[in-house]
Amino acid sequence: MIKSPNLLNSILLLLSLSIVSISAALTFGAADISTSQLFTCLINDCNNVINQTVIWQIRLPRVLVGFVAGAGLACAGAILQNTTRNPLADPYLFGIVSGAGLGATIASIGFTEQLSIALPLAAFLGALFSISLVFLLSVTMNKSEQLLLAGVAISFMLSAVSQFILFTGDPLATNRVLFWLMGSLARVDMSNFYLILGVLIFSLVIIIAYHQHIDALALGDENASTLGINVTKLRLLMLAICAALTATIVAYCGGIAFVGLMIPHIVRHFFGSSTLKLIIGSSFIGGCFLIWVDVIARSAITDLELPIGIITSIIGSVFFLIIMMQGTRSNG
Amino acid sequence: MHPLLEIKDLSWSIETKNILKKLNWSLYQGEILGIIGPNGAGKTSLLRCIIQHITNYQGTINFAGKNISTLSRQYIAQHIAVVNQVNEPVFKLCVIDVIRMGLLPYKALFSAETSADTLAINQALEKTDLTSLKNEEFTHLSGGEQQRTLIARALVQKTDVLILDEPTNHLDVYYQHQILQLVKSLNLTVIMTIHDLNLAHDYCSRLLLLDKGKLIADGAVNEVLEPSQLRGVFGLPCQPFISSDGKFTKIHFQASCLTNPQNDND
Repeated sequence: MIKSPNLLNSILLLLSLSIVSISAALTFGAADISTSQLFTCLINDCNNVINQTVIWQIRLPRVLVGFVAGAGLACAGAILQNTTRNPLADPYLFGIVSGAGLGATIASIGFTEQLSIALPLAAFLGALFSISLVFLLSVTMNKSEQLLLAGVAISFMLSAVSQFILFTGDPLATNRVLFWLMGSLARVDMSNFYLILGVLIFSLVIIIAYHQHIDALALGDENASTLGINVTKLRLLMLAICAALTATIVAYCGGIAFVGLMIPHIVRHFFGSSTLKLIIGSSFIGGCFLIWVDVIARSAITDLELPIGIITSIIGSVFFLIIMMQGTRSNG
Repeated sequence: MHPLLEIKDLSWSIETKNILKKLNWSLYQGEILGIIGPNGAGKTSLLRCIIQHITNYQGTINFAGKNISTLSRQYIAQHIAVVNQVNEPVFKLCVIDVIRMGLLPYKALFSAETSADTLAINQALEKTDLTSLKNEEFTHLSGGEQQRTLIARALVQKTDVLILDEPTNHLDVYYQHQILQLVKSLNLTVIMTIHDLNLAHDYCSRLLLLDKGKLIADGAVNEVLEPSQLRGVFGLPCQPFISSDGKFTKIHFQASCLTNPQNDND
């Protein structure tokens, strides 16, 4: 029998977990701010200007962006997996990060003056460019397996172009791009949070509207088609949503691997695979996961901040293997 | 009586290979129409043309007097339900999730399940005897239970016509009869492709015999299951067994006469 926890209870539980994670994560950081000072500053005005600045301009944006970025990446992964019926589908497989990496490379070499604006913008445009290529190819490819393979091919192609530019370019630019590709929440601000949140809410509304249509794809394209669903249009719509969501996140946070692949699998383990529950579970758990990964990135080594993508990969792969082994054992 | 479905001069080919050749037949309300024939006869292709998964055919398919190619996907889904050969989902779905999909042709985006929808799902569960299995994982069910789940989904779809593609494939004798008795008890207009001629005899009200894309025979069951006709199509001599009360009971093919393994190009 499929474990099917009550949806409302699950949402309340996950919401509580998220609030606790966000609050707890705010207490971590280089500045010595006590928990009581922190909550005073959050609820009322701070007496201490430094604390006010640290909390409102550094910690809060960082934690909130971490939450929405984790939620967005996990959602995009869950939707790509369900719409392509492929448990290995991940936003990064569609060449989004390679495209963003190419954009970041071009910006790092060509626009060194205004890099703080040029890099995320170029990364976003690069991600859109790669996904447009996958889109163009998908017009001639109806099968989801072909679409994934096209994404992988585009990904390698764009990475090769980036590597060539970096190989022949400035070593400083190479460092910048490599660090950016490892992912970080160090440079984010509240405007990034509002933008990612807006795209996330828009995406969730569309996904929730079509959640039963996405479920119907589970039994095959022809089966879904007999229920009146235009399978090609549905798949393209979901691909476009995942692309916009991932491109926005990658533009500000860099490459954060493994969240889109791993979190949906963990959520499936507890909530089952129906799209509605999967999306709700992935949003909250993905958000909390990235908040804690960022806490580790900031506090694991004194005076050194680790790139977030390295930690997601380490924690993710170990956690993933544990879940898989448990699944194998329970299946007999 | 006007036909519910009318096939006129239907042909379909892949490159130079003709899969369906100028088929003409009609389906009337309440019939259980069995489509029989050897592998490669075009049975499944014919069904795929009807449900518009194949659209580049020549000829016309009319549903309730309207050219089916002009009808929307949603309209077709509200009038024709399809039970395909079972396709195992990659991810876990429970029985009731699969059955609930039958509501999709009627549902606007964001609309919630009404009490009438819940009633329809519960009735479908009861009719297919799946109530106790409704929260089970679909892939953990037996082949017969999976077929019943898809039939329950078709019932929730509330259509005029039910199309089944090889509904008894991979099922043991018990489940073969269970599924076909269920289909017969629904009092729907049914089209099904079926390999087992004895089952076709027992459960269909009319048969179409196809061979290499051509319609060889269309008529009452006993007329179509005529030994010389079957021998011509299947390449094996056969003999009907008649019971003491004069009823047709079984077709027996004489495999010892097998000389030329033909028609195996499906």
